[in-house]
Amino acid sequence: MGQQLLNAIFIGSIYALFAVGYTLVFGILDILNLAHSAVFMFGAALTYSLVVNHGQSFWVACVLGVAAAGLMGLVIEHVCLRPLRRRRAPPIAALISTIGLALIIVAAIEQGRPGSFFAWLWVDGANSVSFPAGVVPNPTWHVAGLTLEASKVAIIPISIFLMLVLGYVMRYTQVGRGLRAIAENPTAARLLGLDVDRMISLTLVISSALGGLAGILFGVALGDISPYIGRDNVEVRGLAVIVLGGMGSIPGAVAGGYLLGLIEVLALLVLGSNARAGVAFAALFLMLVLRPQGLFGAQPREKV
Amino acid sequence: MRGLRLISFLAGAIIIAACGSTGSGGGASTYAGKVIKLGAILSITGPGGVYGPQSRDGMNLAVKQINAAGGVHGATIKLTINDDASLEPQAAQLAQTLIQGEQDLALLGPTLSNSAVGVHPLAESLKTPILAVSTTGINIVPDCKFPDTTPCKYVFRDSLGEQTAIPDNIQSYTADAHPKTGVLLVAQDDKFSSDGGLIVQNTVGQYGIKLLATIKFSKAEADLSPYVTEAVQMHPDVIFITSLGAIPAKIMTEARNQGWQGQFLGGNGFNTATVSNQAGPSGKGARSASAWYLGNTFPSNAAFVSAYQAAYGHDPDQFAAQGYTGINIIADAASRANLTFSDLAGDRDRLRTAMETVNIQTPLGPFQFTSNHDVKQTVWVIAMDGKGGFTLVHEITAS
Repeated sequence: MGQQLLNAIFIGSIYALFAVGYTLVFGILDILNLAHSAVFMFGAALTYSLVVNHGQSFWVACVLGVAAAGLMGLVIEHVCLRPLRRRRAPPIAALISTIGLALIIVAAIEQGRPGSFFAWLWVDGANSVSFPAGVVPNPTWHVAGLTLEASKVAIIPISIFLMLVLGYVMRYTQVGRGLRAIAENPTAARLLGLDVDRMISLTLVISSALGGLAGILFGVALGDISPYIGRDNVEVRGLAVIVLGGMGSIPGAVAGGYLLGLIEVLALLVLGSNARAGVAFAALFLMLVLRPQGLFGAQPREKV
Repeated sequence: MRGLRLISFLAGAIIIAACGSTGSGGGASTYAGKVIKLGAILSITGPGGVYGPQSRDGMNLAVKQINAAGGVHGATIKLTINDDASLEPQAAQLAQTLIQGEQDLALLGPTLSNSAVGVHPLAESLKTPILAVSTTGINIVPDCKFPDTTPCKYVFRDSLGEQTAIPDNIQSYTADAHPKTGVLLVAQDDKFSSDGGLIVQNTVGQYGIKLLATIKFSKAEADLSPYVTEAVQMHPDVIFITSLGAIPAKIMTEARNQGWQGQFLGGNGFNTATVSNQAGPSGKGARSASAWYLGNTFPSNAAFVSAYQAAYGHDPDQFAAQGYTGINIIADAASRANLTFSDLAGDRDRLRTAMETVNIQTPLGPFQFTSNHDVKQTVWVIAMDGKGGFTLVHEITAS
C-alpha cells in the first residue's frame, strides 16, 4: 500500500505539472492549447538528443530543452493563435490549429532518423529511448519496505516548487496581475494600456516551458522518450486533471493532478487493473455532472 | 561503395542460386524485360514505426540484390513501400489501391496485427497473394477471416507466430529452471499483446507453472509502476510480459528497481535491439523465442548481415530479416510460377500456388510454409545481454 501511495504521488506530480501549463493558457485565453502535449514531448526529445547525439551535459541540455520548449510557445502563438485572434475566429478554430501543429511536431520528430532532414533533432524515429545509465544520477533507496528512486522522488519537490512560484507570480506580481486582467477582459486590459499580444506570448512561453520541463522529468523518471509520450500518455489525463481541478485554475490543476493519480492507484488496489482507467474517468464524469466548474473553478456567470 | 556493390552482388547471387535450385519454371523468354510489381504496406510512422522501417530496409535490400543479379529470369522486381501510419483503415485503403488500382502482383505486410485484420481478408476476397512479414498474433493464418474459420488461400506469413514462439520459450525455460509461479503483465488494448497474453494463460499450466495473477493495463498508461508493484509484491518466479514498444523495457526497469530478481519471459515484443538497449542491465537474461538471431553464422544469414551493415551502417534486426526473407520468398515463387504477365488474375493464382512449395535458405534458416501457410522454421531462444544485444540460449528445430 505504501509503495502504491508513493506511485500515486509521483504520477500525480507529473499530471499536475503538465496540466498547469494547459490550464494557464485556458485561464488567460479561454482556449485549449492541444499542442501542449507535443511541446511536452519536444522538450524531452530535444534534451535526450542534446545529451546522446550532441554530447552536451544533462544539465546544459535541460536548460536548452526548457528554453526551446518555451520558444515553441512563441511558435504556437504566432502560427496558431494570433492570426486567428486577429480574424476574430471562434475558439474551436484555435483548438483545431493547435491540433494541427501538434501533429506536425510529432511527425517531424518521428521522421528523425540517421541521414534524414530532422536528424539534427532526433535520430530514433518512432522508437522509445531512455537516457543512458549514468547520465542522470539515479540512486535507489529501500526504506521500510519502500523503494525510493531519486529521479522519481526529485520530481515531487520540483513540481511543487514550480507550481508555487507560478502561483506567486500570478497572484502577487505586475505580470500576474496583467495576465489576470487579460483573462477577465482583454479589451478593457488593452484600453488600460496593457500590451495584450505581448502578455499572451509570455503566457504561451511560460506554459510551454513548464510543459517541456514536465516532459524532461517524465523522460528521466520513466525511461520513456518517444514521439508519442505526450499524445498517448498524458494528453487525455491532462485534460481530465483540469476538469477535475477547475478549468483555468492553477491550484485546481495541482489538486486535480494528485487526485487523479490517487484515484487511479486506489482503483487498481480495490477493483483490479481492469478498472483503473475506467474509475478515473468515471470520477471525471461525476465531477462534470455534479460540479461542472471543478474543485477550484468559479461558477460561470451568465453575462447579459 | 564498391564494397557495398560487391557484397550486394554476392548476397544476391546466393539467393538467386537458392531460388534456382528449387524449380525450373518460368522461361527466360517470357520473363525478360518484364516487371514484377509488388506493394508493401508498412507502418513507417505511428507506433508501428518501431518495426516498419527495418522491414522496409530489409525488403529494399533484397530487391536491390535480386535486380542487380539479373532479376527473376530477367524480370525486374518493382517494390513500392506504402506507409499505413499504423492505422487499420489506412492500411485497408492502401491494400485496395495496390490490388485494384496499381494492379500489383502480390502484397507484403501490413506491419501490425491490428491492421492485418482489415487487410488480409480484403486481399483474400480479391484473390491476391499477401505475405505477412511481421504480424505474429493469432487468427492471421489460416483463419484470416476469423471468426469465419475457412482457411484463407492467399494469405501467408513468414513471421514466427506467438502461438509458436511463446510456448517454445516457456517450455525451454521450464526445462532449464523449473519455475513454480508466474504473473502475467499484458497490454489489453492491442491485438498483438492481448493475443500473447491469452497464449501465456493457455500454456503455463502445461508446464506446472501457477499463474498468480493476470494484470492488465492500457498501452497508453503513462506510468506502469502501480502494476509492477502489484506483480512484484506477489513474489513470482517469472514475470511474463506481452506487450510492444517501450513497455517491456519499462516494466523490467521498474521491477528491478523495486528489488525483484526473478525471470522475465516474453514474446516477439522483446526481439529488437531497441528494447534490449532500453532495458539495459535490467533486461539482462530476459528470454524470448525469436525467428532470427544476429549471431548465426550460416551462409544465408552471414551474407544478409554483412550486406545490410554495408548498406545501412548498422546491424539488422528480426524485422529486417523477415522483410528481406519475404521478398526472396516471392522472388523464388515467381521464378517457378510460369507467370504470363498478361493475365493478372491467373498470375496471382500461379504465384499463390508456387508460394506453397517455397523451400529456400534464408537469414531465418531453412524456410518452408506449413499447410496452413504459416512459417516452418528453426526457433531461436535468445536472452538479452544487458548491453543492447542478445545471446543465443537454445535452438529449436522445426518439427
